[in-house]
Amino acid sequence: MLLALFNVNWSEYAPDLWHALLRTLEYTAASFAGAAVLGLLVALVRLNPFPPLRLLAAAYTELFKNVPLLAIIFLTYFGLPSVGITFSTFQAGAVSLILFYAAYLSEIFRSAITGIQPGQKEAAEALGLGRLATFAHVVFPQALRIALPGTNTMLVDLLKSTSLLVTIAAAEVMTEAQLITSETFRAFEVYAVIAGLYFVLCFSLSQVLLWLERQIRGGVALSPRRRRRLGAARALLDEGTSA
Amino acid sequence: MSLVEKGVVASVDLPSVPVAVNVESVRKSFDGRLVLDDVHLRVETGSIVSIIGQSGGGKTTLLRCLNLLERPDSGLIEIGGEVTFSGGRVVCRNLARLRQSVGMVFQRFNLFPHLTAVENVTLAQMKAARTPPQEATARAVRLLRRVGLAHRALAYPEQMSGGEQQRVAIARALALEPRVLLFDEPTSSLDPESTGEVLRVMKELAVTGMTMVIATHELPFAQEVSDWVVFIDGGRIVEEGPPAEVLRRPQQQRTKDYVRTYASPR
Repeated sequence: MLLALFNVNWSEYAPDLWHALLRTLEYTAASFAGAAVLGLLVALVRLNPFPPLRLLAAAYTELFKNVPLLAIIFLTYFGLPSVGITFSTFQAGAVSLILFYAAYLSEIFRSAITGIQPGQKEAAEALGLGRLATFAHVVFPQALRIALPGTNTMLVDLLKSTSLLVTIAAAEVMTEAQLITSETFRAFEVYAVIAGLYFVLCFSLSQVLLWLERQIRGGVALSPRRRRRLGAARALLDEGTSA
Repeated sequence: MSLVEKGVVASVDLPSVPVAVNVESVRKSFDGRLVLDDVHLRVETGSIVSIIGQSGGGKTTLLRCLNLLERPDSGLIEIGGEVTFSGGRVVCRNLARLRQSVGMVFQRFNLFPHLTAVENVTLAQMKAARTPPQEATARAVRLLRRVGLAHRALAYPEQMSGGEQQRVAIARALALEPRVLLFDEPTSSLDPESTGEVLRVMKELAVTGMTMVIATHELPFAQEVSDWVVFIDGGRIVEEGPPAEVLRRPQQQRTKDYVRTYASPR
């Protein structure tokens, strides 16, 4: 009975599905990188002391937090060409996701940065670190740790949201699913398999991110440079105890 | 009468040593409330000055003015003979370098929680003083050993006791080889045992001739290590002198009250 549900010839679609999967991952990676950078910028502008700029950044965040992602996708892909701005499908998809997720990420980053004790900045200043060094080595790494759980949730959410790009035929997994369905007329089977595929992708991604969070919280040095320095310190310490 | 005439730190037997810190007529107010009112302070190189007085009396603000974490409204500040603040504005050209020459130890330690003890001590060496990593690490290990914490070098602040954290903070401040070290109530958030550890390290520093300005309520300690004690209340210097005088035979009523409250261990 159950086997009767599965009679799409999946091996035939495997290469196309593979390409679609890569496309989904490309959308995810490009959009997340863009959204993280833009989100950080917006967060920093919202924290700057100049009110008009702060207001502008707040307006951005509120605008994109309160408009559905699908509306943003339609606006960039179908709307903008009529005012002379034409994007390729990939650009339109990525831009929409970036604009939308940057708004959420900026909120996460902003609260992370404001969550750092003022004493941290003071200690850095008192040690003669400049503004940039203070941000790069004291504020940012700590904010990153605070922001990590929320940011990771957003990354997984973004991966799922790439499926909305089916509406602009973005050649990602959901679009491919639609194609296979139209050829096989096996909607239940196809969408069940595709849903499973999304689940496997998102679940493994979130597990990896959780592992990363645990490592960082446990104080494991992840960058090779930091590992080298800690190793050097350990060597010096051992020298001292044996001497 | 100026502090020079009174012979601040007369116990230092090198009269020609330069003045590490000189403060003249410093005023500072927050929201219309005067927290420093015409404060003068002179700290000679190698001497130890304790600033005592009620919390909220201006001790912390005075210390924070010395490395310009706080900007006075008016007055003059000189560090190591160089004017850093005058005529209501910062005149020091290189604020970062000034801060490297004025180390600060905070009441709440303010260690960087995302870095290990040794990295806390190397960060400013590498990023502010541009010391090469190897040299910075070697110095950090040396300093941690000096404050008795070599075995905690790879621990994170949250894994350390308050006393250990404060000793790391002292090593961190020492790493930049400052001209003067400021201590802002370094033992006020510590239990008695940790307080003992930190005071021991500070005494060792005192012996090596480090110039120190210490805001504290630890009167027995202040009496033991200081060359000069300043009692500050309501933003004004009420009384000052050698510790034996200010702490044993205070002249002003407010000083008497304060000394009586804090002299007995609570």
